[in-house]
Amino acid sequence: MKPIAVGSGVAAPPILNVNGVVVNRSGKLILKDINLTIHRGEFVGLVGPNGSGKSTLMLTILGILNAQKGSVKIFDQPPQSNQLIGKIGWVSQAASNLPKDIRITVREMVELGTINGKNMFKYRNQGRQQQVDRAIAMVDLEPVQHVDIARLSGGQRQRAVIARALASEAEFILLDEPLVGIDRDARNALLKLLDRLCHDEGKTIFMVSHDLAAIRQTAHRMVFLEESIRFDGPTDTFPDLVELAGLRGIGPVHGHAHHAHEEEE
Amino acid sequence: MMGLGVILLDLVAPFMETFAPLVPGDVFPYFFKMELFQRALLAAVLVTIVAGILGTYLLIQHLALIGDGLAHVSFGGVAVGIVLGATSPLWYALVFSVTAAILIHEMQSREMLTGDASIAIFLTGMLALGLVILRLSGGGITTDIEGYLFGNLLLIDESSLDLITAICLSSLIILALLGRSLLAVTIDPVAARIQGLPVQNIGLLFSITTAAVVVSMVQVVGTLLVTALLVTPSATAQLISRSFRQCLMWSQVFGLLAVFLGLYLSSELDTGSGSMIALVAAGIFAVVAITQVVIRRLLQPADNIA
Repeated sequence: MKPIAVGSGVAAPPILNVNGVVVNRSGKLILKDINLTIHRGEFVGLVGPNGSGKSTLMLTILGILNAQKGSVKIFDQPPQSNQLIGKIGWVSQAASNLPKDIRITVREMVELGTINGKNMFKYRNQGRQQQVDRAIAMVDLEPVQHVDIARLSGGQRQRAVIARALASEAEFILLDEPLVGIDRDARNALLKLLDRLCHDEGKTIFMVSHDLAAIRQTAHRMVFLEESIRFDGPTDTFPDLVELAGLRGIGPVHGHAHHAHEEEE
Repeated sequence: MMGLGVILLDLVAPFMETFAPLVPGDVFPYFFKMELFQRALLAAVLVTIVAGILGTYLLIQHLALIGDGLAHVSFGGVAVGIVLGATSPLWYALVFSVTAAILIHEMQSREMLTGDASIAIFLTGMLALGLVILRLSGGGITTDIEGYLFGNLLLIDESSLDLITAICLSSLIILALLGRSLLAVTIDPVAARIQGLPVQNIGLLFSITTAAVVVSMVQVVGTLLVTALLVTPSATAQLISRSFRQCLMWSQVFGLLAVFLGLYLSSELDTGSGSMIALVAAGIFAVVAITQVVIRRLLQPADNIA
């Protein structure tokens, strides 16, 4: 497993700092006392069973949902701050089922990633085309950049959505279940791409997945969430299934009970 | 208004007159020669250009029927205006339509009602208001009112043309500035918010633009047929386009084709212009759709038809 990039940014403030966050949604406690810090250059995998609050945590970090208690700071700024425009790239779950009835090419979609609250009325922007070129090159979609997204494979489509997030030149990329709905080869290629983005392009990556095996291949650090954070540490110290069941408060009722969430796909 | 329509007509009239001798038909050439008809043609072309662009954005948001809803609301406004003796009932339609668009947008974004329900309520409520008020005032459906229901190009006077032109030009500017942001919001609203785009305000401004454009279309194709120019050309374009840019381009081609062909046929056959334009637009859709199926069948192996 790769070591966590420490030396480079010791003095720099963390990219993400979640402090004592509590989130209730329609009266139900979803997140309890979440503390999480992510530093520049890290590749962090967020795992947990369905309904464990992974997406809620993501949306709270992004400021789409509000925390009842605690605080979130990204680059030392509150979420949705104007200072963060262009610094965060978001690859949503919805990405894998993009509306098929919109005729839009890869390039047209990646271009949308360059628009933000500051430049939305600027019609021609010199840097924009170069940003788009770079983003498309990073995900190896140059050959299909003028092809309608509906004609692409699931894996290619997912790459296109990642390119859209990269086009803003964001340093911090959050991905919600990017591995859903793509075949094994595409999944491996995608993981390789994310690994490259982290190591060669200096992106910091925070990725949600319930595909434990896949995310363990790539992430430096794993966070296991089920209402609260049950584990947070380097990937090679990630607990095995028996320990994990203990962390989740599930006793080994039967010898084979804990196969339950080994791999859901 | 500042007479924007009249100014524009002065600019394009000489071109129209140059083309007049080349135009086929007995009646159709009048659209290029006589001011009354020129006004009608200019209004129809302006409205079609804007509707093609707007419709492309409406389709991707699954809002194909909002135009229909707002058109019915506009008819309520027209009826109130006529009963109150307004010289230009379109202004009443504009107030009604924009108000309804704002309320529908608010209701949907507050999740009071989902999807089309709020559109349905406004559509029927305002149409009913118009009909009741007309009846109470002692009037019925006169030719004047029929002109708003089914469209009557020749009822477009100078003040109407001014209003239509002002709406169309400002909508073009708004759509040009807002288009890409709107596309970004449609494709991924959460990502758009993270990019700092004012998602709520973009939606609201787009709703207001739609309301205004619908009003500008009422006299051209009529309340009942607004959707024909708003949605059909864009839907046809979607069949054959492979990029968003192509969608915008082809919807212009199909929209303008429907207008010119529809006006030609209606003036030569002496039918209503609005209904003929709508019929031609639907006909173009059918031809393109069938052609596409046939071509696919010829190109692909028989067992692989999507």
